[in-house]
Amino acid sequence: MTLVGTNVEMVGGRAKVAGAVTYVADMEFAGQLYAKALRSPYPHAKLLRIDASKAAALPGVRAVVTRDDLAGLNPYFGTGVEDQPVLVIDKARCVGDIIAAVAADSKEIAEEAITLIEADYEELPAATDILEAAKPGAPLVQERHVDKNAGGNIHGVYRAASGDIEQGFKESDEIIENIYHIPPVQHGHIEPHVVTALWEPSGKLVVHTPSQTPSPLQEQIAKVFQMPLNRVRVIVPFIGGGYGGKNHARIEPVVALLARKARRPVQWILTREEVFYTGRRFGAVVKIKTGFKRDGRLWARKVEAWYDMGAYALSGPANTKNAAIIAGGPYNIPHRDYTTYAVYTNLPPAGPYRGVGASHVCWAYESDLDDIARRCKLDPLEVRLKNLIQENDRFITGETMISVGVSECVKQVAQSIGWNGIAEQEKRSDTIVRGKGLAVAIKSTSTPSTSAASVRLNADGSAILLTSTSDMGQGAQTALAQIVADELALPFERITVTFPDSDITPYDKSTSSSRATFHMGKAAQLAVGQIREQLFQAGAKALEARIEDLELRDSRLQVRGVPERSLTYPQLFKAIYGEAAGSLFGSHTLRTEGGIDAQGHGKGSSFWFYSAAGAEVEVDTETGKVRVLQVASAVDVGKAVHPIQCGLQNDGSALAGLGSALVEEMRYDNGQPINSSFLDYLLPSMLDHPGEFNSMLVETPHPDGPCGAKGMGEAALPPMAPAIGNAIANALSGVRVRDLPVKPHKIVAALSNAKERR
Amino acid sequence: MKLAIATTINGQREEIAVHPNQTLLEFLRDELKLKGAVEGCSVGVCGSCTVLIDGKPVSSCLTLASNIEGKSVTTIEGLSQNGELDPVQQAFLKHQAFQCGFCTTGMIMAVKGLLNAHKQPSEEQARDYLSGNLCRCGTYKEVLAAVKELARP
Repeated sequence: MTLVGTNVEMVGGRAKVAGAVTYVADMEFAGQLYAKALRSPYPHAKLLRIDASKAAALPGVRAVVTRDDLAGLNPYFGTGVEDQPVLVIDKARCVGDIIAAVAADSKEIAEEAITLIEADYEELPAATDILEAAKPGAPLVQERHVDKNAGGNIHGVYRAASGDIEQGFKESDEIIENIYHIPPVQHGHIEPHVVTALWEPSGKLVVHTPSQTPSPLQEQIAKVFQMPLNRVRVIVPFIGGGYGGKNHARIEPVVALLARKARRPVQWILTREEVFYTGRRFGAVVKIKTGFKRDGRLWARKVEAWYDMGAYALSGPANTKNAAIIAGGPYNIPHRDYTTYAVYTNLPPAGPYRGVGASHVCWAYESDLDDIARRCKLDPLEVRLKNLIQENDRFITGETMISVGVSECVKQVAQSIGWNGIAEQEKRSDTIVRGKGLAVAIKSTSTPSTSAASVRLNADGSAILLTSTSDMGQGAQTALAQIVADELALPFERITVTFPDSDITPYDKSTSSSRATFHMGKAAQLAVGQIREQLFQAGAKALEARIEDLELRDSRLQVRGVPERSLTYPQLFKAIYGEAAGSLFGSHTLRTEGGIDAQGHGKGSSFWFYSAAGAEVEVDTETGKVRVLQVASAVDVGKAVHPIQCGLQNDGSALAGLGSALVEEMRYDNGQPINSSFLDYLLPSMLDHPGEFNSMLVETPHPDGPCGAKGMGEAALPPMAPAIGNAIANALSGVRVRDLPVKPHKIVAALSNAKERR
Repeated sequence: MKLAIATTINGQREEIAVHPNQTLLEFLRDELKLKGAVEGCSVGVCGSCTVLIDGKPVSSCLTLASNIEGKSVTTIEGLSQNGELDPVQQAFLKHQAFQCGFCTTGMIMAVKGLLNAHKQPSEEQARDYLSGNLCRCGTYKEVLAAVKELARP
């Protein structure tokens, strides 16, 4: 009996229901100070003068930092591009850019001190619209980091192509062309960003932060302060939601700077408004042109997509590059030409959010797919199945695709929502109509990438997995413990999985990109493999048996099928060390192969993930109001290590997708955020959750994953918005809103435009 | 200046001193070190700071600490008795009605309030009552399953 595939109680579950989890904001250190920041009120402005002397003189203020405190540091940090200053140096690049920060005895004093800081600015013209920002002559956000050949604020241009696009369009029976707008949205982690930093008397920095990327964060901080990695300790407890919003260094460098100057621990908890200045999903514009045959075969597709990175790149270039290869979806199309642009703007920095890069193009290609099916008078499900990639098909990257469960995913959601083919719309009254929609998605994971795991076996037959994988609610500790327990034939309770702590746990690229179970799970398995080898060698000698005749079973090493000839863990330790004491170690650094070149060729992903969504909606054609009657989502997980946790992640992704389909949108007025609060920015509540909400797991095992598992945490998000959009268009006989979110006024406008055209 | 008030917190009668402008959430977290209620939005929308006052859920980020004078406050820390989880906590655990856990304490307190108001709430009542508690992990279905079990006669 294996633990993988079963629903063990979630690690930390009892603490969570008891309110006994210690999140970073719950920590208190002796002498702890509280931070607040002065932020830029302008989207783009030179910082002419800053004077913090009055703030520094306020009783209770222990440190104030401005650009004058950056001497001797590497003042710019970033994941790929080092373009973000710890504090604004020459100019502010977005509203909310950090101008100065204060550490004081209380939040109230820190807040008061902020009002005493004098700053003079010279406003600059701002680039706040993606397409305008991409044009030559636009005000430059990051002079040193733009692609001079591409012009404007374009940082990078990424391409993927196959076949002959012009020839493909010539050979097509029909061509459609559309433009789609996808706004920035909030991650919506209920726990705001929060950091506590302190410097030990030895000069070692300790940072407590809910980070999804503790190892790269440690590297970034070490680089800013010019210290070796062992002098920067990053510790990550349970995270109150991440969804990509807690990747990368964000406020850690400035809190560390404050703590250094104050010589005291400093905690900074962002307000919700500040969270809106700190991260968001990329906004994007997607132009898509598709040529097809009348029988529904996709024949040629050209996609251009502009991704708005905001003022700082974070992982934008990598995300935009990955978006290029999936810009046309999981389809076999003979002629393809996809280009994506990573564009700086004077908006707060964007970054990865569940379904990064994939959601934007998916909204476009899946909306278009239904339009194509309508033109061909064919069932959209049939058109999808006709074009979807299958096992061993060659992708645009040139790689052979394996573990392809996408057709199965879409078939399952179609069945779940009661899909009946082409004529789905149903009139309930003169103004109330119903419709159904489907969508599929493909996404890559960060490739190549590195994850290291270390396992320590105790003599009593219990073990600890040392890992820098963060647990942000997805249940990574649970899944990893299941995998390790099975490898050692130990009960679940005998396995501990650490929290990330860079003094203890080895390197890991990130807990993002749905990569943890696949990468860390595999690394853990291989680390245990080293321990198993030692156990089997010692056991073979002691049991006078051949290694290949041995097995680990029920906490013992035994001759296969002969439980009488067996050794317990203490006995095995005795056989190795002469006493039932000591530790056995195993470790493995997993480095995945791959990556894509400038032509978009190579191995795009160490595993691909596939998903599908279906929705049924009811639309009031008078008011444009949409009611979601039911949704279904299916994700190909390879192997569900913990089916309930997989299902929960699906639900979360799908519900966030529903939010981005209908309500979620960060809005700006000339670069000024105008809905930076949960009063004005709506997250789906229990009332928005459709009663019928079916999430399904398809298991197409992947040969490289632990027990066949693939990543899945974000897969359900990208197809949800187009499934809902397609359901709405279906209800409205093909009238479609192409700008997210699909709000009532847009539906009313689209209906009235369609009427005029008739 | 502080105000001296008498109140009951998790069943214990207390004489406490609060700042007039201090929120109940600040008082619970900073003075009493009860960290179970957490701050998510500071404007009473997300529900993660929910506690009960006289059995009714409130957003403690919008409630002044001085308002609890003569009242009885229950926080998540006051639910389990002698190390035994409260039935609501048990139901959440059984249905795994949480992921990251950040909204969970507020959600549990809101469910306590729901069950105080309606012994056997319908699903509609539950959705309506709990709509002020946001869970970005999207674990609503499981919360409703937990409520359904608790609502059984």
